[in-house]
Amino acid sequence: MKKSIMVALFFCLFLGCSVAKSQEVIVIANKSVKSSGVSASDLKDVYSGDKTSLSDGSHVVPATLKGGPVHEAFLKKYVGKGDAAFRAGWRSLVFAGSASMPKTFDSESALIEYVAATPGAIGYVGKDPGDTVRKLAVK
Amino acid sequence: MRRRILLLLFVFGLASPLFGQDMSNIQIHGFATQALLYSGSNNYLGMYTSQGSTGWTEAAINIVDQPSDNLRIGIQLHYIRLGIFGGDEPSIDWAMGDYRVKRWLGIRAGKVKIRWGLYNDTQDADPGYMWALLPESIYSIDDRATTLSQLGGELYGDLPLSKRWGSIVYSLYFGDYYYSSSDGLTEGFKEAGINFANTPGGKTPGVDLRWKTPLKGLLVGASTQRVDARGTLTNGTFRIAPYYSTTGYAQYDAHKFFLAYQYARTIAHQDVEITGQPPALSVSDARTWFVMAGYHLTDKLEVGAYYSSELDAAPHDNSDPANFGHDWTISSRYDFNSYLYGKLEGHFINGNVSGFYDFDNPNGLKPRTNLLVAKVGFVF
Repeated sequence: MKKSIMVALFFCLFLGCSVAKSQEVIVIANKSVKSSGVSASDLKDVYSGDKTSLSDGSHVVPATLKGGPVHEAFLKKYVGKGDAAFRAGWRSLVFAGSASMPKTFDSESALIEYVAATPGAIGYVGKDPGDTVRKLAVK
Repeated sequence: MRRRILLLLFVFGLASPLFGQDMSNIQIHGFATQALLYSGSNNYLGMYTSQGSTGWTEAAINIVDQPSDNLRIGIQLHYIRLGIFGGDEPSIDWAMGDYRVKRWLGIRAGKVKIRWGLYNDTQDADPGYMWALLPESIYSIDDRATTLSQLGGELYGDLPLSKRWGSIVYSLYFGDYYYSSSDGLTEGFKEAGINFANTPGGKTPGVDLRWKTPLKGLLVGASTQRVDARGTLTNGTFRIAPYYSTTGYAQYDAHKFFLAYQYARTIAHQDVEITGQPPALSVSDARTWFVMAGYHLTDKLEVGAYYSSELDAAPHDNSDPANFGHDWTISSRYDFNSYLYGKLEGHFINGNVSGFYDFDNPNGLKPRTNLLVAKVGFVF
């Protein structure tokens, strides 16, 4: 009985820690982006440099954070890579002349400001961005 | 050459303010790498690696402006010193305008990287991949100055098929190319008694088609490139009859894991006519392939391995190490931060068909070479 309680407590703690570590990620876009949603596949392709437009034809320009838990959570959830692999993939394109590096920001507020001001820009934040940008639902 | 590069950069720098260009769209990126190589026997890649060599240094810088969503204009300078190859002056890696009309049609013109196989256009972008050395069988670092880019144009695009069938990515190009005067290809000819008065060149049309399959991360493709070359020797003429360099490949890249395979075959007929001597005709039939895999153990640490094989089947003697090369490689890359990384790699090579030269192996070659490569890279 004691053993079962210990095991149950252990799993509760483990799950609790996992939940606590889970970081919310909100995908945002400039209001020129017509769609209110984006497919996970399109999001991955845009942030991997494979596409510059969404399936609805909207031309998009990705922006990223420099680092941090929101950046890591976004990459893990939607790109399927860690930061080092993500940057290496883009550098391969940049040094081949095939693409330009996404704009990178030190803070979420700077990223929000850029997305709000740049037609076609998309990005991601960890908290409510306010009403200067459109929130995109990821399908 | 140096004056031309400086003039180009100067004009590029002047052009933006002349047209009232917003400088906020200009990006500058670069990298620099330094390697240490040690081989247990035989000297490799134009360096005295059996004594330990730091003879491999590379650096690149590019400047790109994006005046509109569809238009990019840029230039990349690249410097390489690989033993006796390369030199003290940087070369223009690419310099082009790139206009994306639609997702399915883009145009590049200028000095443009050649898309052939999985890695031809990215092989000199060291920060972009794990390996210290790509498989020498297909992506020979000592020959790549000749094969990297062409002076001409490219049409490219991504043709969506359907959700069920994925999309086709294509590249069609045509232009001029020239042998590099300071790479392993020219050195190999020199060691065979062929000395160029003017380095050969020719036209190079080609096509690459790759299918991005519905299975996310799986790519299958093929490329072919028509190559010919004419040049003058110090004592005659040189010609390689037009041939097709063809390759097929597949890659699976998902999450932390990637797996890739590539096969290529090139049959070339070489005609060397030296004044006062009968024409010397020779044929090579290079059959090359590799299989590789890599895995991110952590976000910063990636490990991998590859097996690479090369055979020149033309001499009909598969037992002579001069005609084959097999390379077992294990590799790792660690990204200390966004700007600094290191690579550590071991090669176990059987055969001498590529990467070995007479000038630094005057006593002949042993059939096997073990090589350790350690490299540090800075990138921004």
